[in-house]
Amino acid sequence: MSSFLNFKNLRREFDSLTSSQFTIVLAILIFFLLLPLFSILYKGFVANNQLTLTYVHQTFADPEMIKIPPNTVFLKLLQIYKFKILSNGSRALVPVNILAIGSEGPDFGYILNSIFVSTSVMVFASIIGVISAFIMARYDFIGKNVFRVLLFIPLLATPFVNAYVIGKVLGPDGLVNYMLINVFHLSYKLVISGLPAVILIQTLSFFPIVYMNVLSSIINIDPSLEEQAENLGAHGFKLFRTITFPLSLPGLASGATLVFVFSMEDLGAPIGLAGAFGNGLHTHLMSFYVFNQFKQAYSLSMVNPEAYIVATIMLTIAAIGFILIKKYVSLRQYAMLSKGGRWSPRVRIPGWLGLTIVYIFMTIVVIAASFPQLGVVVLSLTNWATSGPFPTHLTWDYALALIEKPDVVQAIKNSVTYSGLAIAITVLLGTSAAYIVARRKIPGRETIDVLATIPIVIPGIIVAVGYLVFFGSLFPNTMFDPFINPGTLLIFTYTVRRSPFLTRSVFAGLQQTHVSLEEAAMNLGASRAKTFLSITIPLIAANVIGGSILSFVYMMNEVSTSLILGSHQPSQGPITFLMSQVIYGSGQVSAVSIAAALGVLLMALQIVAIAVSNYILKQRVSFLGV
Amino acid sequence: MVSVKLFNVTKRFGKVVAVNKVTLSIEHGEFFTLLGPSGCGKTTTLRVIAGLEHADKGRIIFDSTDVTEFPPHKRGTGMVFQNYALWPHMTVFDNIAYGLKIKKMPKEGVRRKVKEVLDLIKLSGMENRYPTQLSGGQQQRVALARALVVEPKVLLLDEPLSNLDAKLRVEMREEIQRIQKKLGITAIYVTHDQEEAMVISDRIAVLNQGTVMQVGTPQELYRRPRNLFVATFLGRYTIVEGLVKGVSSDGFVTLNAPAVELLGITTTPEIKLKEGDKAVAIIRPHAFKFHETRTRSSLLAGVIEWVSYLGPYYEARLKVGKLSFLMTVDPSVKVEVGMKLTVYVHPEDIVIFPAKALKEESYGAELK
Repeated sequence: MSSFLNFKNLRREFDSLTSSQFTIVLAILIFFLLLPLFSILYKGFVANNQLTLTYVHQTFADPEMIKIPPNTVFLKLLQIYKFKILSNGSRALVPVNILAIGSEGPDFGYILNSIFVSTSVMVFASIIGVISAFIMARYDFIGKNVFRVLLFIPLLATPFVNAYVIGKVLGPDGLVNYMLINVFHLSYKLVISGLPAVILIQTLSFFPIVYMNVLSSIINIDPSLEEQAENLGAHGFKLFRTITFPLSLPGLASGATLVFVFSMEDLGAPIGLAGAFGNGLHTHLMSFYVFNQFKQAYSLSMVNPEAYIVATIMLTIAAIGFILIKKYVSLRQYAMLSKGGRWSPRVRIPGWLGLTIVYIFMTIVVIAASFPQLGVVVLSLTNWATSGPFPTHLTWDYALALIEKPDVVQAIKNSVTYSGLAIAITVLLGTSAAYIVARRKIPGRETIDVLATIPIVIPGIIVAVGYLVFFGSLFPNTMFDPFINPGTLLIFTYTVRRSPFLTRSVFAGLQQTHVSLEEAAMNLGASRAKTFLSITIPLIAANVIGGSILSFVYMMNEVSTSLILGSHQPSQGPITFLMSQVIYGSGQVSAVSIAAALGVLLMALQIVAIAVSNYILKQRVSFLGV
Repeated sequence: MVSVKLFNVTKRFGKVVAVNKVTLSIEHGEFFTLLGPSGCGKTTTLRVIAGLEHADKGRIIFDSTDVTEFPPHKRGTGMVFQNYALWPHMTVFDNIAYGLKIKKMPKEGVRRKVKEVLDLIKLSGMENRYPTQLSGGQQQRVALARALVVEPKVLLLDEPLSNLDAKLRVEMREEIQRIQKKLGITAIYVTHDQEEAMVISDRIAVLNQGTVMQVGTPQELYRRPRNLFVATFLGRYTIVEGLVKGVSSDGFVTLNAPAVELLGITTTPEIKLKEGDKAVAIIRPHAFKFHETRTRSSLLAGVIEWVSYLGPYYEARLKVGKLSFLMTVDPSVKVEVGMKLTVYVHPEDIVIFPAKALKEESYGAELK
């Protein structure tokens, strides 16, 4: 009897709209996310049709993966000889002393290196992010808006090139060393490479994620909570430690977790550093290991099975991160105890001492964080790539290459085509998923909620590897064969990986739209499908458009899947693939400048897209917050 | 124009029983109100009738058609939402015309019908405005027009006046009543405002914790509440606790309270009292007379301890022993604090309930 009743309930809930949305969402997510991910597990844990832990043992016993004992050298003094032109015009071999950080160590093996790097990046990014957020949320000072804008610059992705710029600035013949030797007349050069360089680069590019999440948490704290604490005698650091900081913890938790996961999956820093310094310890990371295994593999049999275990480890860490974020996002509401009307923000004008500290801190942060992006612009417009520490003249050659060089034009075309098609699917997927999660109390709703948002933390390399394994083994010589048609699959990786931006935007729109607007239409005789099209969609159109723009931009910037899948048919490779080829693969030094020009193009796209979507959505979208 | 019947309708949200075995019979053309405190299940009951919630148990019948399994768009009800739910992306005309267009009515017919209903709600000439350009009262009228224009079988109104200011609320409730009577449509109205319910309704169902406490005309509910919940929810009162001294053969109950003896009645044969039972008496403020006009009236002699001027009348509290009686006093009678006063209350103005009802009634909705 009860199962009959359940069936009846199900039939009532699954009207034509709900069943088609449900089917679309599940079909895409199962086929293009779940099954590829499971096939990695299959490859790692099944051999000869039997469950096995052989590869796990093999991986953990591999000294490359976990180095015992670890190499803990942090810095080393090196002396090399170099030709120098003396004042009388003759050339002489002179010793150069180099203080090398990171080039000889530390090295704990690929797995522990990744965890070490991600943890360090998370800690440093959190410290800088929390301090910046607190300053921006609670202090008023001249030029605050300038800093506010500049803090966004590190988020503008310029894959590989920004790491290359850092290498160029911090390298043995870079800007910093030029200053040390020629201006300050020191006898040592400073060179940062290896893991410390990765940590430095990732901290600078990821701390704004913590900054934005914490900032939105602090802004949402009801001022009366702090005022009550002040009323009871707390002030200054005590107030921050006991009230403000604990209430902003949810923002910190999700921001820090995202930074950890993004750092772990990042390929930009290792590949960019490899471009600047050659292969070194900065490539001894899980992400680079997996990338390297699969970019060379023209058949899956060439892949070391350890790569699947490494991929599984990354996937597990990402999943744990997702669970943590989910938990904290639901907790986040407690920061907004009473929500009624706009409250006046608690902004203070600091005293002269405070002001000095604020300016010094913010200036250092902003300069350190945005110089890579500025460097990319310089690189694209000058001969800096070949001219030594300083550029010597301007040139439009690299900018013109974007419309003149056939392989560059092809890459841009590819990116636009894939992203455009992916957006079409994403709109369908994202609005359906968001509508089901926001409006329909049906069995499977929780699953769809998780599946639709989890891709935000799943490393792109893992998705790409999953595609190679799943579609490579089951769909050879079809349109879904990743070795022949990576372009088709890129459309789907873009869809799955970047749809959460649209899904969340639409979900937010639905939450702000009272459900009675839809009920009124159904009450007047419109079916759910008719209501969805004539009432719901027009009401959330801004969110669909805004979310689409964000998703589109992140598709254009997609690195990891583009690299791995693109490498199998370079003619089908998108922009980011070409950039990596130019930085890492080609011997042509000046080609780096073309990559920089592509980077500038991507930055311009992002700035326009964020500005437009902020205008449409009439709010600051924390586009990397969760 | 139809009759609406609910049989044993139950709706749960998780563990909470929002509507508990509600059975109601609403006549065609009747203005029927669901009244109760917030969370009593009145809105859920209305949404179950509209099909926006599906009842877990029970049946809903329109005339002779069982609509329990009908989706909302097949029920033919016209609902006015608490927040009006006017579509901000459509003009007044498009909002009102929506239901007609869904029914594929020809354009000319749509235009004519919309014009008619705009005349009815006195908003002609506003067709091309957007909802945001209207005042709260005008938005309310458009929402009403949108529900009425499709000629629904039943008009459902979910606290439609709660977002209006006090003066407009009084005007609109008369307006809604006028239109309902003019069209002769069956209307089901939800409110927590007892005065609004009294003024506007033919009959009222008082709900508490998902259960119907009493159904009746406003007069019945006010003068003959069948339980303590209804007695204390509607209007103001003084409550007196005491012991039953005796029950006369014609049903009058004598209640012995500290310092006073009250003679009252019970409202339903289900209430059985005997000598020595703990009981309570409910007395309305206007029940106090200054002259003994009838025998068997209860006599209360005390001192005025508080007076407040309210315009049409005074309110005063009469202290008798430790008891304090709230009463309204005509301005022609001079009362002041400290004045000694003797008043009389007719037995039919004193309603007596068993005292255990004090506790039980408020928990009456728990599902057994």
